[in-house]
Amino acid sequence: MNGLPQESFRRLFPLLLPFLALWVLFWVVPLFLGVDLALQNPDSGFATSENTEIEYVGLENFERIISDPKFHKALSNTLYYVLGSVICIIPLAFVLAVGLFELPRLYRGTLAFCLLIPGLALPGAMSKLFYLFFHGREGALNQYLIIPLGLDPINWMMDPDFIMPSLVLQSVWRWTGVVTLFFLCALEGIPSWHFEVAKLEGMKSLSRMRLILVPGVRNLALFAGVFLIVDGVASFSGAYTLLGGSGGILDSGLLLVTYVYQVAFPGGSGRFDLPGATAMSLLVAPIVAGFLFSILRLRFLQTRS
Amino acid sequence: MSRLLSVLVLVGFVLLSLYPFAWMFFSSFKTNQEIYLPTQLLPEEFDGQAYRMLLDGKFIDFTGSLWQSVFIATAQALLATLVSALAGFVLAMYSFRSKAFLIGAALLIILIPRQALVVPVFEWLHWLGWTGNSFSLVLCGIASGLGVVFFSQSFSKLPVELMEVSRLEGFSPLRSFLLVIPLFAPSMVTYFLLHFALCWQEHLLVLLLLDDSSLTLPLALAKLSDVSHRAPESIGMAAAALSFIPIVLLFALFFRKMRTALSQLSIS
Repeated sequence: MNGLPQESFRRLFPLLLPFLALWVLFWVVPLFLGVDLALQNPDSGFATSENTEIEYVGLENFERIISDPKFHKALSNTLYYVLGSVICIIPLAFVLAVGLFELPRLYRGTLAFCLLIPGLALPGAMSKLFYLFFHGREGALNQYLIIPLGLDPINWMMDPDFIMPSLVLQSVWRWTGVVTLFFLCALEGIPSWHFEVAKLEGMKSLSRMRLILVPGVRNLALFAGVFLIVDGVASFSGAYTLLGGSGGILDSGLLLVTYVYQVAFPGGSGRFDLPGATAMSLLVAPIVAGFLFSILRLRFLQTRS
Repeated sequence: MSRLLSVLVLVGFVLLSLYPFAWMFFSSFKTNQEIYLPTQLLPEEFDGQAYRMLLDGKFIDFTGSLWQSVFIATAQALLATLVSALAGFVLAMYSFRSKAFLIGAALLIILIPRQALVVPVFEWLHWLGWTGNSFSLVLCGIASGLGVVFFSQSFSKLPVELMEVSRLEGFSPLRSFLLVIPLFAPSMVTYFLLHFALCWQEHLLVLLLLDDSSLTLPLALAKLSDVSHRAPESIGMAAAALSFIPIVLLFALFFRKMRTALSQLSIS
């Protein structure tokens, strides 16, 4: 196979062992357990509850989840969040990275580090801040941006139409710097003779952009896309703290993982619906995984073809 | 002219990134009333009362949470770097029977975001009796799809000839791994940092797996902002500001290495 040294699996096994062991322990077993759990009846007690009579109900949990309007809401909100973040962040980060790349080397590092900082903050810690920034008429966003533009102040957190945009804005604020750093490093990795050729050819800046810069960042753009999708689907902390564990007004800020958590461990009522929550995970997980896998197949896994 | 414009845009974005942090820092000295006016940046007077109350552990055990977070994130990121590097090395540098199957199966499953599988993971660890234990938390995040992708991509830049030589010499795969790994110090540092940052922010799994006595920072902060504690807002701001220091220092220290590794990664 394409020039790599052939080796028997037995000799490679020690190197793969830690990974495979953890993989089985924390992914494969929970996955099968999850399938088992999702088929049980939530009302008659399941594996870990005191009542050990397990009753299997077939696909009933799945049917219940599929016809649950809140699940649809959570799913479309998550899709909105993930797509919104990717669509805003990647072009913006590319523009910023090109801007940084044009600067002298001395300043690049410092500026890129400053841009990176939001990605390091705890989303839970920031959400308190955002709550104050977005909140009501006195919020900074209204005071600095919306009112000077001559628009009516927007009640970001209470208006169902604006909860999702404000969550996307948070995500953009967090991750743009990280992705910019990825892109900047990609641009710095482009061999310098590409630019010399461009100069000799007398290339215009637009075709220089199209022929050199964009292909240069393509690899890391895919990596960043995967990173953002994984983070977006899994995002919990920010919205959970921001909206106090609920889905916000009319559930308009309900994200998938928050809803899984709500169904599994409802506060107060004490009726844990672990089978329902698991069924929900199992409905969504293969779609996300399959989607990411096909993106990765595109580039990352064809090592040395 | 266009350079001036791009500098202006960049400076604008840098300010936009840093302003909330400045505001957070100054707010840790403010009274509640001042905090509810987000347009006011500076406090009337500086006194470190919020920090004192925070470190005295009046509302939450902040230092305990800080160490708990540092321990979990460091241990998990170190082990994850090692495990992913080993697996990535094997996948990038050798071909063996059932490799395609292994890559397909392993990646397809591991790309499921961990948070989506959180309920069965919880059930399983509960059954094993590992909940409430920070070691189980360290262990369950080690194997990650992002890590394997990252390292198999990094190692694929290594010339095949090197592997030919080590095979002729009769080196075992582990020996070859140890030989090449010093070349990949920047990649290892980079992945360590990425994993550290993600683990540092982990909220949901911690919420399920740890009991109240040993919270990590995200949970401690969420608890602090819970209204029932009636903690002044400035304490939350102080906690956020302090929790932010370790990770920024870590990134600042290794930032140069990270840039080197990322630009190597992108060359195709």
